[in-house]
Amino acid sequence: MLRAKRISMYVFLAVAAFVSIFPFLWIIVSSTNPSVDVTRGKLLPGSYFMVNLRSLLNSIDMLNALKNSLTVSVSTTLLALLIASLAGYGFEIYRSKAKDVVFNVLLLSMMLPFAALMVPLYRMFGRITNLVPLIGIDTLAAVVLPTMTTAFLIFFFRQSTKMFPKELLEAGRIDGLSELGMFFRVYVPTMKTTYAAAAIITFMSSWNNYMWPLIVLQTPQKQTVPLLISTLGSSYSPDYGLIMLAIVISTLPTAIVFFVMQKHFVAGMIGSVK
Amino acid sequence: MRASGPALRLRWKASLVGWSFVVVAVLMITLFYFYPMIQALLLSLQTGTGSNLTFNGLGNYRRLFTDSMFLTAVKNTFIYLIVQVPIMVLLALVLSVVLNDRTLKWKGFFRTAIFLPCITSLVAYSVIFKYLFAGDGLVNLLLLHLHLISEPIPWITDPFWAKVTIIIAITWRWTGYNMIFYLSGIQNIEPSIYEAARIDGATAVKQFFRITIPLLKPIILFTSITSTIGTLQLFDEVMNITQGGPGNASSTISQYIYNLSFKYAANFGYAATVSYSIVVMIVILSIVQFKVAGDRDA
Amino acid sequence: MRKSLMLLMLSLVLTLVVSACSGGSGTAGNSGNSGSTGDTTGSTAGNGGDGSKGAQEITVWAWDPNFNIAALNLAKERFEAKHTDIKVNIVEYAQDDIVQKLNTGLNSGTTKGLPNIVLIEDYRAQNFLQAYPDSFRDMSDLIKPEDFAEYKIGPTSYNGKQYGVPFDSGATALYVRTDYLEQAGYTVDDVTNIDWNKYIEIGRKVKEVTGKDMLTQDPNDIGLIRVMAQSAGTWYLKEDGKTPNLADNPVIKEALETYKAMFDANIVKLNSDWSQFLAAFNNGDVASVPTGNWITPSVKAEATQSGKWAVVPTPKLAYSASSVNASNLGGSSWYVMNMDGQDAAANFLAETFGSDSELYSLLLEKIGAIGSLKAASSGAAYDKADEFFGGQKIYADFAKWTEEVPKVNYGLHTYAIDDILAIEIQNYLNGKDVDSVIRDAQAQAESQLQ
Repeated sequence: MLRAKRISMYVFLAVAAFVSIFPFLWIIVSSTNPSVDVTRGKLLPGSYFMVNLRSLLNSIDMLNALKNSLTVSVSTTLLALLIASLAGYGFEIYRSKAKDVVFNVLLLSMMLPFAALMVPLYRMFGRITNLVPLIGIDTLAAVVLPTMTTAFLIFFFRQSTKMFPKELLEAGRIDGLSELGMFFRVYVPTMKTTYAAAAIITFMSSWNNYMWPLIVLQTPQKQTVPLLISTLGSSYSPDYGLIMLAIVISTLPTAIVFFVMQKHFVAGMIGSVK
Repeated sequence: MRASGPALRLRWKASLVGWSFVVVAVLMITLFYFYPMIQALLLSLQTGTGSNLTFNGLGNYRRLFTDSMFLTAVKNTFIYLIVQVPIMVLLALVLSVVLNDRTLKWKGFFRTAIFLPCITSLVAYSVIFKYLFAGDGLVNLLLLHLHLISEPIPWITDPFWAKVTIIIAITWRWTGYNMIFYLSGIQNIEPSIYEAARIDGATAVKQFFRITIPLLKPIILFTSITSTIGTLQLFDEVMNITQGGPGNASSTISQYIYNLSFKYAANFGYAATVSYSIVVMIVILSIVQFKVAGDRDA
Repeated sequence: MRKSLMLLMLSLVLTLVVSACSGGSGTAGNSGNSGSTGDTTGSTAGNGGDGSKGAQEITVWAWDPNFNIAALNLAKERFEAKHTDIKVNIVEYAQDDIVQKLNTGLNSGTTKGLPNIVLIEDYRAQNFLQAYPDSFRDMSDLIKPEDFAEYKIGPTSYNGKQYGVPFDSGATALYVRTDYLEQAGYTVDDVTNIDWNKYIEIGRKVKEVTGKDMLTQDPNDIGLIRVMAQSAGTWYLKEDGKTPNLADNPVIKEALETYKAMFDANIVKLNSDWSQFLAAFNNGDVASVPTGNWITPSVKAEATQSGKWAVVPTPKLAYSASSVNASNLGGSSWYVMNMDGQDAAANFLAETFGSDSELYSLLLEKIGAIGSLKAASSGAAYDKADEFFGGQKIYADFAKWTEEVPKVNYGLHTYAIDDILAIEIQNYLNGKDVDSVIRDAQAQAESQLQ
């Protein structure tokens, strides 16, 4: 009985994993084929990997784009985690009527589609450019600034803080920790899995962010990876083998971040900290 | 009387500490979201193409109710919402519980595999998906081979099946994403609670409904609301897989906003109006969800 | 205990990794910033363009690396050889991305970040010219409209001023598989200068004999309707470019009926994606491809089909008297932004795409691009026989058809009406009658385009 249950669990997971991963395997296989075979939907690996790689490196500056994307994503993630967790903690631990109202208002900022914010935001950065060119249009900082604070992440941290055992704070207070000390010494280590999840999600959305970088970046040397890939596909006769290879490369960083971070999801975290 | 002075000061200090935790976030969001949102609100009262805008009062808002393309998009979006969000939330919950099993082997692989769909670039995703679901694509071949269907299903070119394809696509792409939040939430549940339940003879299903779901409530509420927002702003899948077609049988509100701004005659005013219609819908749905979840601060 | 130790170790490693990353990103960020200061000076030179000292830079946005970008590179090479003080900076984006960036930039009233020259698709050109008046430079002083194929002038001019420098020809043709036709008992002559009814008839026979569909269509892309409309010199909109022209337009009605007849004859293979469109003829699944001449490289991509293809004139509508065996699909033109640096940019266009017939010969030879400059439509490059098409001189043919394309005004709302029609066509294919289809589309267009 127990055994049957275990087997059915593995079968369920195997099916889910296969369905999830199959298109990705197809992309990998396609990156070894010439364009004509890709459009045919060929499922077997070919011998075009090196050819695709060479034409990829010749046609676009993938390395530079990877560097730009990494700069943007890592700084966005670190800043976002700090700002949002402080806020989520503040809203839940130091709860008050006024703060609840402010929090609910903040949630409103998630609700307008970005397409509607784009023009006003761009106009704003046009003005910023005249004052502080270093964070104005066509800088990586301009990509990071509007995306590093999201109500989404604050909301997530606040909801997770609801599950945080508040007794730990009492203990910290008795030990004579300052308010900020308690946040860094007690809350942060206890909520490690929440931070891991937040880091994965933020890194991913920053890495894949498309609309805003597209609008605000101008010079080719500053382009991020998704912008480059979009350019590759914009042809009457696109080279699909090359595109697939570029996509494989562009997916790896997030996959690695995920694989490393997911190890934090270990049952019974809080128990072991206590 | 004597105590009230310092006590008041203490409360003031406590309140100040609390505000200082949130102040950076509030300032940033005000600057980069609320300020443009107000601009967009003003824009939603104007009409015209490009930079030739004229004030139109509530005319744009009235236009919404007679705009059949908009109404179809709203209808489609709600179909996606009602069918897809519950399926995905439940699936993600089950997966995260299974993937949290301490004795499970290859955990890292399974988790990464299921997470992969949401990080794959849309360009690839659309090419591959259209292959899989083409008239003579792999999915049809498989179903025909298994004798589950006798004729190929027009996944992308039929109004009904196009919507089904979109729902499959969103579920495929976002289930692993939502799983992350549950996985992180489950860590905060005391294992001793499960042990006690096991000793009492509760089955896995019972544990799932009696322990996991109630204790994860804050996170479930979070994912339901964010998924609702995500679905109401759904754009990528539709744009890349069906282009809203055939006709506008699978179009969404966000896609319509994009078309109004960039594909048609650059009517940013009316596009802003349509955007605000989304805000209104999300606010209403979120209040309902907070109430249903019985959150303390609905 | 062991577990918490492991976790501690893990988080230590993680912090190290993260800090290493952020350290790396810090330096990357710095180098990015130093790069940005360099670029800022570069771009001010581009925008400011006093041009007195050092090289002046002009920025060009375009899409399609194998076609427009390749053409730009050839033009740049020739231009920079003569003007060492000007540097042409080519930036590649997808077409949709250019439309988005241009709209956002023009709408926010800041010229910072806009290019000096931009490529715009002819269907959308009036949108930009009318929505952002004064944002584009009048080119009337540098180029003569009568130097270009007549049909390119409507979309590229506004209020009697010539804004665009016409570029590629979107002249259409019917690409046919001669081997399939032969099996069904037809020669190339049998499909030359025919009408769509004859085309459908042949398609039926081909399907019967070879089992292959006659053509492939994406139900979301009704380019074929546009081809039919332009072949008869009419469009979705009236001459003013604003009033919907669907009801009481017999050409549109015939186009819709013809389109449906193809589906009824069961000779259409459905596709839902550009890659599947390409695959349909690369795989030999269809006997013909009616589309713009820019598809030539994609047809030739499948080398094993060499010698099995021919190119014939586009079929015309059977009952619309004005319809001819020539039409257009797509195509685009160059525009100069009205801002600092515009004179150098205008000069670049005038000297290259505006007049240089040698450049056009090169374009044809190297990338198979056919321009719309009349003076450049002959020469050795055009007389070359193409073995892939059985030795046919396809470029000479395309050049000839380019001049025969009827002139129409694409107006402001081509894509808006395209979407409305695509919806109604779905209803039509599902049994709605043609008159109410057209009436409903007209009503919807009128209410939409207020």
